Amino acid sequence: MSKHSEGVNNDESERRQHEEEIGNVAIWDRVKAKLSEYLSPDAFNRWFKNAGLVAHEDGEGVIGVQSDMQQIWIETNYLVELRAAFAEGAGIHCSPRVVVLGQEQSATELVTAARKPKAGEQIKVVVPEGKEGRPDSFERRLKKLGINPEFDFDSFVVGDNSQFAHAACSAVASQEGRSFNPLFIHGRAGLGKTHLMSAVAQQYLVNNPKAKVVFLTAEHFANEFIEAVRKGNLDIFRKAYRSADVMLIDDIQFLAGKERTQDEFFHTFSTLLNSQTQIIVTCDCPAPEIQTLEPRLISRFESGLTVELQPPGFETRVAILRRKMEQWKVDLDNGVVVHIANLIKSNVRRLEGALTRVASYSFLSSEKMTIEKVDELLRDLVRDENSQQITVDQIQKLAADYYDLSLADMSSRRRPASIAFPRQVAMYLARQLTKLSLVEIGEAFGRRDHGTVIHACKKVKQDMETNPEVKAAVEKLTSALQR
Amino acid sequence: MKFRITKEAFLDGLQQVQHVVSSRTTLPILSNVLIEASDGGLRLTTTDLDVGVSGTAPAEVSKSGSTTLPVKRLVNIIRELPSAEVEVSVDSKNVASISSGPSFFKIIGLPDGEFPPLANFDDAKEFKIPQAILRNGLKKTSYAISTDETRYVLNGIFASFKEGKLTLVATDGRRLAMVDHELEFPASHEVDFIIPTKAVQELQRHLGTEGDLILRLSDNQVCFEVGSSIIVSKLIEGNYPNYRQVIPGETKERLTLSREQLLETTRRVSLLSSEKSNSVKLTFGSNRMNVTANSPDIGEANESIDVTYSGKEFSIAFNPEFLMAPLKNLEEDEVHLDLIDEMSPGVLRTEDAFLYVLMPMRVTS
Repeated sequence: MSKHSEGVNNDESERRQHEEEIGNVAIWDRVKAKLSEYLSPDAFNRWFKNAGLVAHEDGEGVIGVQSDMQQIWIETNYLVELRAAFAEGAGIHCSPRVVVLGQEQSATELVTAARKPKAGEQIKVVVPEGKEGRPDSFERRLKKLGINPEFDFDSFVVGDNSQFAHAACSAVASQEGRSFNPLFIHGRAGLGKTHLMSAVAQQYLVNNPKAKVVFLTAEHFANEFIEAVRKGNLDIFRKAYRSADVMLIDDIQFLAGKERTQDEFFHTFSTLLNSQTQIIVTCDCPAPEIQTLEPRLISRFESGLTVELQPPGFETRVAILRRKMEQWKVDLDNGVVVHIANLIKSNVRRLEGALTRVASYSFLSSEKMTIEKVDELLRDLVRDENSQQITVDQIQKLAADYYDLSLADMSSRRRPASIAFPRQVAMYLARQLTKLSLVEIGEAFGRRDHGTVIHACKKVKQDMETNPEVKAAVEKLTSALQR
Repeated sequence: MKFRITKEAFLDGLQQVQHVVSSRTTLPILSNVLIEASDGGLRLTTTDLDVGVSGTAPAEVSKSGSTTLPVKRLVNIIRELPSAEVEVSVDSKNVASISSGPSFFKIIGLPDGEFPPLANFDDAKEFKIPQAILRNGLKKTSYAISTDETRYVLNGIFASFKEGKLTLVATDGRRLAMVDHELEFPASHEVDFIIPTKAVQELQRHLGTEGDLILRLSDNQVCFEVGSSIIVSKLIEGNYPNYRQVIPGETKERLTLSREQLLETTRRVSLLSSEKSNSVKLTFGSNRMNVTANSPDIGEANESIDVTYSGKEFSIAFNPEFLMAPLKNLEEDEVHLDLIDEMSPGVLRTEDAFLYVLMPMRVTS
């Protein structure tokens, strides 16, 4: 950034600052006029005459007073009047907060002091990070809520895999999708569930700055709940969550096995749902597959819209990489980018990790990146990647080969023991080695019922215990698949 | 260590100091009472590190020494003993044998070396205060202490020694109680500090109506010597807010009321104040004051008091608990209620230097 533009930006921010001060004085004058109507002259002179408006943003009006007694007395006795005066005098709906200014400082001095940019902030003024027009306070608020400001709709690369989820989320964020309640987003790790949910929260906050957004992980919910039980202030806990305008819960699968938390969550969930509060939940698997989750919760989750995020296709992966490169300002050969996209298929986070590794290596060593070099750098990631890539097709093929059957037998209706048992072994392996659901596995084995798959898994497990031959066969197949 | 003591004297001594001990403490030694036996008798000391209390009990000491024993357990045992005489001996391992008539107890204590010593007040400022003044002052103000821990400077009584007066103040942001007393002390001793609630409670237990007490003040601790008892407390750090800002300067109407009557009336009428609004309304008309309360689904109450009043008609609502608190703790027959209008705080005064500022409740019309 050149010196010249820095200067311009500073002038600009000083001018804004100045305008803001004038704005605050004007607002405070109107609020004061209202207050003098509400209060007796004595009370007004005593508490508000020398007070000033220090700042107002995010639905919070900060009033500066001279003494701590004024702070205590106003906060205890006059908040109702103050709020009303803000609303009626200046048309601002905010919750007032009172701070004590140093005796020697007047209200305006404090404004200037508080607005002086600190070393860290100055950079922010000079280089707005692609989110122009957004005040710092917005980012602060996001941080407070635990939302990563970078996770917004703009930075989400939409592909075939995520189109539906993206559309549903943006409908919810712009409040067109009241019927999409609750919105249940599921998908494997690193596919963008949290990103989409954060984007909804951000968009919602942009549209409704005063909304009370609750954004947290299920783990956080559980911890807070336990804390509340321990301290015996469940009331406050309930009030905090049940008064939300939007509730976003990440990684709901964490509730599995926590009965009391589930119970509390269920009631919070129902209360919010009944008051038509938008709820968004993410999970790393479809709701019915969460182990030990109460059926009533599962059915609640299923009552709204369920969307799935799938691993991105090749084009999407390349697009994601290009987006990231643009953001990080790195340049790589097209061939290298395509190669990375080819190597890492299952997980966007890992894809970004791979790009980081390649980009930083090329930056630090200033070597030209070649495909061989990329292979070497990403060796461990690729190995891990491949181990996850076991498909039902592979399993069926291997099992058919092993038992000397034709591949078609795996999905045929014929069921003599010589065919049925290898098929059951293959189902068991599919259950163990892939992340597919029972239904999906049944589907792959000639549109069989998920109950058949459960039975197959049980039977093979039993046989493995009683029959060493079966055990050896399964182990051999497993290791062959994982190679 | 070995001593004989009457059951009554031992119990008295222990009960004087046992309130400081909290049932949930992190250090085991803090559940114990330090017992020091010497020719003069016993000295019993407890502390929770913030407040420490020490008292004496007359005893026949045959072998001096000291130990610490769990105070709650000890009190329970002594209280139940069958005979009026108790004999206690403690061995070198701090195991106490208590025998009284046919019964015998053995309880295990902790070494006295572990007991945290009370602070030292060698170079402290010293004040001599009549017990009655402090007792009276604490009684008239302590009910207004804030329990809101986020405003910790208000969790105690502000004591100010200035201009030949001892001023005690307590407030919680809705009301403020203040009492002044003339007191003689050297001008170099002008000082103010905040005594935490717990120390105030201990003081109230120990203060009598006759004799003086000695107050010693160091940088961050205060010590009260009341007879043979000693109460030591940390002070609340921080500045007490300027309470004078709260006291209204002007007064429009002054009513003189019988304290007893106002208290009784408020108490009766408040039976029908609703839980939600929790207020009683005082309505003033010509030479009459009506105290009313109503709650929509329960009913209403109304009681009138004859007063001398010729101002304009108006009503003001107060929280009945807050209105009754000072009335319960005053002794005067008459109180003055000074009012400005329905939105400004009411001020209760007595002939001597007591003052109570009370914020009105919002009347929803």
